[in-house]
Amino acid sequence: MFECFLLLSKREYDILLLETKRTGDVKQKTDVKQGTLALMVLKTLEVLGPLHGFGIARRIEQISGDLLFVNQGTLYPVLLKLEQEGSVDSDWGTSENNRRARYYRLTKTGRKQLQSEVQDWQQTTDIIARFLSAKAEELS
Amino acid sequence: MRSLRRFWKRTWQFVTRQNDERRLREEMEQHLALETEANIRAGMAPAEARRAALLKFGSVEAVRESYHAEKGLPLLETTLQDCSYALRMLRKSPAFTVVAVLTLALGIGANAAIFTLVHALMLKHLPVADPKMLVRLGNGNNCCVGISSSDNGELSLFSTDSYEYLRKNVPEFEELTAMQAGFAYRPVVVRRDAGGETPRSVMGEFVAGNYFRTFGLAAANGRLLEDRDDIAGSPLTAVMSYETWKTRFNGDASVVGSTFRVNTKPVTVVGIAPKGFYGDRLLGTPPEYFLPIEAMPGIANVTYVHGTEVMWLYLVGRVRPGVNLGALQQKVSVLLRQQLAETPHYSSQEGKAKLQIQHIVLTPGGAGIQAMQEHYNQKAKVLMAASVLVLLIACANLANLLLARGMARKAEMNVRTALGARRGRIVRQLLTESLLLAGMGGLAGLAVAYIGARALLAMAFPGAVNNPIDATPSAAGLAFAFGLSVLTGMLFGVAPAWVASKAEPVDALRGARSGSGGTTLLQRTLVVVQAGLSLVLLVGAGMFAESLGKLEHIDLKLDPVNRYIAHINPQTAGYSQRQLGDLYRTLEERFHALPGVEKVGISSYTPMEDDNNNWSVMVQGKPDPHLSASYIKANADYFDSVGTRVVMGRGISVNDTASSPTVAVVNREFVRQMFKPGENPIGQHFGGGPKSAGDWEIVGVVENTAYQSATWKDHMMYFVPLMQRQPSADYPIDKDEEMYAGAIVLKTSRPIPQMEELTRRTLAGINPNLSVVKFQTFTAQIADQFSEERMLSRLTMLFGALALLLATLGLYGVTAYGVARRTSEIGIRMALGAERRNVTAMVMRGTMLQALVGLSIGIPVAMVCVRFVRSQLYEIKGIDAGVLICSVVTLMAAALLAGFIPARRAASIEPAQALRAE
Repeated sequence: MFECFLLLSKREYDILLLETKRTGDVKQKTDVKQGTLALMVLKTLEVLGPLHGFGIARRIEQISGDLLFVNQGTLYPVLLKLEQEGSVDSDWGTSENNRRARYYRLTKTGRKQLQSEVQDWQQTTDIIARFLSAKAEELS
Repeated sequence: MRSLRRFWKRTWQFVTRQNDERRLREEMEQHLALETEANIRAGMAPAEARRAALLKFGSVEAVRESYHAEKGLPLLETTLQDCSYALRMLRKSPAFTVVAVLTLALGIGANAAIFTLVHALMLKHLPVADPKMLVRLGNGNNCCVGISSSDNGELSLFSTDSYEYLRKNVPEFEELTAMQAGFAYRPVVVRRDAGGETPRSVMGEFVAGNYFRTFGLAAANGRLLEDRDDIAGSPLTAVMSYETWKTRFNGDASVVGSTFRVNTKPVTVVGIAPKGFYGDRLLGTPPEYFLPIEAMPGIANVTYVHGTEVMWLYLVGRVRPGVNLGALQQKVSVLLRQQLAETPHYSSQEGKAKLQIQHIVLTPGGAGIQAMQEHYNQKAKVLMAASVLVLLIACANLANLLLARGMARKAEMNVRTALGARRGRIVRQLLTESLLLAGMGGLAGLAVAYIGARALLAMAFPGAVNNPIDATPSAAGLAFAFGLSVLTGMLFGVAPAWVASKAEPVDALRGARSGSGGTTLLQRTLVVVQAGLSLVLLVGAGMFAESLGKLEHIDLKLDPVNRYIAHINPQTAGYSQRQLGDLYRTLEERFHALPGVEKVGISSYTPMEDDNNNWSVMVQGKPDPHLSASYIKANADYFDSVGTRVVMGRGISVNDTASSPTVAVVNREFVRQMFKPGENPIGQHFGGGPKSAGDWEIVGVVENTAYQSATWKDHMMYFVPLMQRQPSADYPIDKDEEMYAGAIVLKTSRPIPQMEELTRRTLAGINPNLSVVKFQTFTAQIADQFSEERMLSRLTMLFGALALLLATLGLYGVTAYGVARRTSEIGIRMALGAERRNVTAMVMRGTMLQALVGLSIGIPVAMVCVRFVRSQLYEIKGIDAGVLICSVVTLMAAALLAGFIPARRAASIEPAQALRAE
């Protein structure tokens, strides 16, 4: 007998393994990169204050207007990464319906990181916007 | 900055093994619960609400994996995981693990052991300052005391006069020093003055005053010899070796400055040589004391230090930087010829002609006098070749084992791939396994290497004291063997996995077996190669054994039964030549008085010991044949005590005294070479040269007893009564070195175990300074002369046995594996009606076929290799048919055994079971 990693999910769910291809069946939504997800998390925490994972996911869903396809589960690794980097702090608390939930909040480092990332985004969008609106004559 | 912080956090988590598994699970559960509730509020049914929540969440496993990928140090963790898994797997198949580790250990260990010794022997540099600037004058090993010219003109032994001449006239040498060539044959007897301990016979080397300065050494304590010690008449001083100081005197500082009695003369030990300095040449028993040359006449009672052209020194010099060695060699040769031209030996017409070709060859002196290295050179090469063969066989075995194992785990690899493991990950896991195996094998090999090196040293230098050759495995040897094994392990461990991972995973899941039944061509090739190499080693071992057998059965024409030999040195005990007559008489009386002693032989040296004294001979009335014969002085009892038969005339009698006519007894070989067939030698005269041809009258002829070596065929010898000197000798008896006997041979009526003690006491009773230099039974002395051949024979047999074992294991492994793979096929055959013996025959056929193919490769290879070892063998021209047949039979028998067990297992397969167990 040999050891192997056991599968838990049932057959209906399409994404089972790391290497096999995704056959996404929701074509309208777009994937989001991990970096931008982190930015969204930080912004959410800044605006809404300390929040648990579910709340953050809901908020992102709301704001993106359901245009973004985020497997809610992927939030948790991102949150861990941010915690390790020192941008967020987490602790156990009680949620609205009296359940135990892990609350995340922004730290000073997180605020600084958010600021710098926002600045980067602004810069990037400005430059791109300028390019996109530039007419032929202005570039001579 | 952020990533650094992350890295630290990860490392910390790894170290403290934090596992927030529970936290994640709780978080995820809470998340799902909240989402489910929200769905229920939105109007879904509870079951559907939960399902929708799960869908939205995504794969829990995927999340968990990404989560864990952020924590800890995944690379290190997976490697550790691999390691523990590999260990578990290895533990599960103990047979495989043990065989693999053993194979590796033997292969690596044997090689490292031999490499260590060869490295220590061949490549060892003297532990001196800047060995590259040292140059030896001479390239040969002639030893030890005499006057001779070289046939090929190359001189390596020099007289004191030559040394001093060169030292004065060759400024290119920063220092030129001289050392006694033959100290190994002339032990000194040393006793500390205070303390009343018994004197010991030890190695002591006489060296020039600038010896230590030439080698650039500093004393470990006190001071080393200087020029002022090497002046005639100065107080006697000596330097003790570091090993002696540590082992015999426990590093006692009071030794420096204390007085020792060397050959009864008081000598002050002025210092200790540096640690690790064992002298100027590799010897099993290095010198314990270094003394100045000028002290030699007084201490060793020799006469050849000054005023003669006797050659007895080796010369080593330190050249100045920038000196051209080619030009220096010319200069030194020219100067030496100038100096020798003045000597009597080269004054005659003949001498002048010989002088023209005499020259010195300069050789690198960084490794000292290379006598031992040259002697063992060939043997070392043979042993290294054999050990490399064993290593190759071991690697082939390992390769086979790993291949078989890899094939067996093909299904496992396929399932892993199907589950999503990347090829790199699988390969990494297998690599870890192979490396772990190689590591374990390497460690075991280290132990084998250490033990092996020690055993080899003990075999090569029996009875050595303070052996300077280190038995610790050399790094280079270990690295080579280890590296090869690791390479093999990696290659053959990973290769099957690589191949397997290419296959479609779905095949394995469907349960199909990859069609190939039985063993692959690669495996069979490896086994065949193993068989071939084993045959080569077996043949080699057989030939060395044959050679040894031939040597040991040579008729030495002596009788060693109930004989004891005691080596003495009356010269160092302080006897002058004039006192020897009384001494010998007393020796005969006292030893005859011992109970059980029948004959007391006294002589210069004895048969089958490493000693010889050659003088040129010429028969009166015949032309000078330019030959030399060995010269021994002996008493009347001598021939009987060694068991040499007198075949013509008479032996030496008690009436042959200093005043009676000078007579000699010659051996059969002397008669054969110096006289025509049928000619009667009795009554004829011979001597050293034309002027002295009438020195000795031949009164008897004896058998050709073997002296020095059993293989010395054309050995001429003549024996002369102890107290007689050649009438033509132009030097007084006081300068005659030959008068001193070196051995007493006792023939007893029965074995006397305490003979050594009795001998010591008897000698001490005559003169307390007359100590026993060496005591052995005649049989032991003879056996010593064969020690090298015996060692070589034993080692090659060991390697042959090792190779055979490994090859058998390989054959067995492959056959067993083949049977296991073909289980279903065999089941079908038996179900279709094949008898059990047919099955057995089928399996055995396969095995024997492989062995035969191996043989057919091995035999021609062996025949080619014989050429290289012929020089080491005694009277063996090519492979003996007997040896070949024996080796072939042995190999086939091993193959039979290897194939038999799996064959029986195959025959005992139940067809129904076999078919069921896919």
